[in-house]
Amino acid sequence: MKIIVPMIAAALAGSFAAQAATPPDTLVIAQSIDDASSFDPAEGFELTSVQAFTNLYQRLVQSNPQNPTELQPTLASSWQPGKDNRSLTFTLRDGAKFASGNPVRPEDVIFSLSRVVKLNLDPSFILTQLGWTKENVDTQLKKIDDTHVQVSWTADVSPTYVLSLLAAPVSSIVDEKIATANAKNGDFGNKWLALHSAGSGPYQIRKFIPHEVVLFSANATSPGGAPKLKNVLIKNVPEPAARRLLLEQGDADIARNLGADQMAALKGKADVKPLAIPMASLYYMQFNIDANPVLKNPALWEASRYLFDYHGIADDLLKGQFQVHQSFLPEGFLGALNDNPYTFDPEKAKAILDKAGLKNVSFKLSVSNQPPYLDIAQALQASFAKGGIKVELIPGISTEVATSVKAHKYEATLNAWGADYFDPNTNASAFAYNPEDGSKTLAWRSNWHIPELNKQTLAATAESDKAKRVELYKNMQREVQKNSPYVVGLQARNLIALRANLKGYIQGINPDMVYYSQVTK
Amino acid sequence: MVSLAAEAGSARLFWLRAGRVMTGLASLAVTLLGLLAFTFMLSHLSPVDPVLQIAGDHASESTYAQVRRELGLDQPLLMQFWHYLTHLAHGDLGISRLTNSSVAGDLMRTFPATIELASCAMLFGAVFGILLALLAAWKPGSVVDNLARLVSLLGYSVPVFWLGLLGLLLFYAVLHWSAGPGRLDDIWIYTLEPKTGLVLVDSWLSGDKEMFRNAIAHLWLPVVVLGLLAMAGITRLLRAALLEENSKEYVTLARAKGASRGRILLLHIFPNVRGTLITVLALSYATLLEGSVLTETVFAWPGVGRYMTTALFASDTPAILGSTLLIGGCFITLNALADALTYLTDPRTR
Repeated sequence: MKIIVPMIAAALAGSFAAQAATPPDTLVIAQSIDDASSFDPAEGFELTSVQAFTNLYQRLVQSNPQNPTELQPTLASSWQPGKDNRSLTFTLRDGAKFASGNPVRPEDVIFSLSRVVKLNLDPSFILTQLGWTKENVDTQLKKIDDTHVQVSWTADVSPTYVLSLLAAPVSSIVDEKIATANAKNGDFGNKWLALHSAGSGPYQIRKFIPHEVVLFSANATSPGGAPKLKNVLIKNVPEPAARRLLLEQGDADIARNLGADQMAALKGKADVKPLAIPMASLYYMQFNIDANPVLKNPALWEASRYLFDYHGIADDLLKGQFQVHQSFLPEGFLGALNDNPYTFDPEKAKAILDKAGLKNVSFKLSVSNQPPYLDIAQALQASFAKGGIKVELIPGISTEVATSVKAHKYEATLNAWGADYFDPNTNASAFAYNPEDGSKTLAWRSNWHIPELNKQTLAATAESDKAKRVELYKNMQREVQKNSPYVVGLQARNLIALRANLKGYIQGINPDMVYYSQVTK
Repeated sequence: MVSLAAEAGSARLFWLRAGRVMTGLASLAVTLLGLLAFTFMLSHLSPVDPVLQIAGDHASESTYAQVRRELGLDQPLLMQFWHYLTHLAHGDLGISRLTNSSVAGDLMRTFPATIELASCAMLFGAVFGILLALLAAWKPGSVVDNLARLVSLLGYSVPVFWLGLLGLLLFYAVLHWSAGPGRLDDIWIYTLEPKTGLVLVDSWLSGDKEMFRNAIAHLWLPVVVLGLLAMAGITRLLRAALLEENSKEYVTLARAKGASRGRILLLHIFPNVRGTLITVLALSYATLLEGSVLTETVFAWPGVGRYMTTALFASDTPAILGSTLLIGGCFITLNALADALTYLTDPRTR
């Protein structure tokens, strides 16, 4: 027995030793890819697919990775607004080619943008804001000549705003010839593009096995230049502790979406670099003001702002995973307000409630049973109790909570809101817009009717002057911060860790701002 | 006269057995139909709106109505169930909203991974579970018996999720005896041609010995973690059955005749608990097939357990129905097989 055990151990150690190094030409990323259902830019709207789009496709214009609020020419070399401010004419970049070798033509631009509207899938609302419909989109996109394409719109929005929308992942330019060759039943190649790619980005999809792995290989002829590493392998590791171990062992170069405990465990390790990157994701409470008269009372809204234990949750409970943020535009967005005027003050909240004659206040808080929602909700239950408000938690699976909130069957909810594209209107049109045309915005979920804010939201998209636009958004944020059925409390941080030898990795505030092309190791 | 009577007797026995088989098959079909109806009803009672999930928040009323029509949700519930059954009869389990591909295809991709893990774990659990139960029953109250009880208690009470993480930390991160999460190291993910879906078999068929060794390096730890769970159940139930049998008269008689303890245990008692053993093994295997979700999560094992859980969280109805049917079918089939095997091997049950 004394000899057998070490023999078995030695045999195991010799035979099964972990590889402990990723292939030198491959960037290996450990993350959960369970959400990825389609890599078609007209359809993919989940974190994994959106993170991939900047690496697989290019748009006419894109955010500068170093300075995201600045748009830079990408597949277009320049653009010119029309005299009536209702069109933009783009000059296409000279000699640009897709991964297939096909040249990028005006026809590809027209095909890519119009198919988004015609397919009418989830992200299509980003482009239909331009007044585009299935019926009129073909008349709004025009080939001028072999290197020029004109994009027109009917909505009252400025060219600056249109450029922001054209920089969104949904506006990725797809190789028409490849997509059409793989189209079935008039789907513009949608089913095929769910698993493949046909873009001009630095990488292309080589293999995608849902729930298992997605492998990108380099597109050496990308107009932006060939990427430095040959492959990017993203493997599905659903458990954060296992992701951390893979990174520590050197079997992964990047581990995404780690928890605060994993970050603490990685602290001080020389060969690992932990990062906390601010994300355009806000955590907020909102009331359904038609659920009962108390929830409609602005005094309750105001008291709630003093009962949200901002720093207790961000700094003590979920260390490093959040930063305190109290306005509807996340830090990093054009015009974001970063002053945080509210602090946790139960006595002040009690005084506000007393003054309004509100006694024995209680409400039900619908919340996803997944971390960190339930952790935050429990902290809120305790902090609201200090102000004399009883909060009953109603946990459920996230899809269930979302359905009941969208059906107005809730009293209050704790939720997160991520930006759909990199323009302040993405959040303004959610928090401060509730038109009577059936648009199901966050304000609509609260039954909050705001004709004045609606006007301001629309005016901000029509404004071309950047400074004036910033001022408009600041005013709206102040108004919502002071008097709305929301308590915006936290901005999430993306906790990721890299191997220390990794260089050139850039990740921005929006989910699509993930850049693999300059990574070396 | 004698031979005629014998012929009539054997014919009666044949029809009796055939009738029993037919009854068994009919009850199998009814149970499956019941399972289908139950899960179908449950999925329709869910508060989640499948139309909204597909159409998205920004869909217009007309798009919403169109998606609802396409999903057949404007039809009466019975009609929807009938459509589901007729599609099922053609092998069509619908399209998963989460993977955008056919549920049948998804299950064919994920189930082999679960079969591979569960079968190896079952083998581990059965071999060590039977051995430990026999050793325990050999000398009840001895150190070995107490150890067996302790092991089965631990196997039952320690969360498999925690055990998996601990195993990874020790054998992967500290000792480097095992490979990390996943089924193969990255360098082989590129090259392996899936033929059976079982990485162990596919890597063996590829002829690449290093790849095969790597597959074992990835497999052994989750197998042991999951196998311990199976072992605990098998040891506990088999030990109890052996000890119960040990108190019967034929054992006392055998002992009085001077048969050794080992001979009594292996040749007299053990064959008499085969019914219990077969049932325990079948149930353990069915539980492993269905219940390995936590192990699959810790070890990034792309099996059907995780597929089903992900579908549940996303309220992906076609995927939930498909995987429930598969797992339920496995349970029912394994139960029926256990019954049949007991019937065939134990004359007392006939």
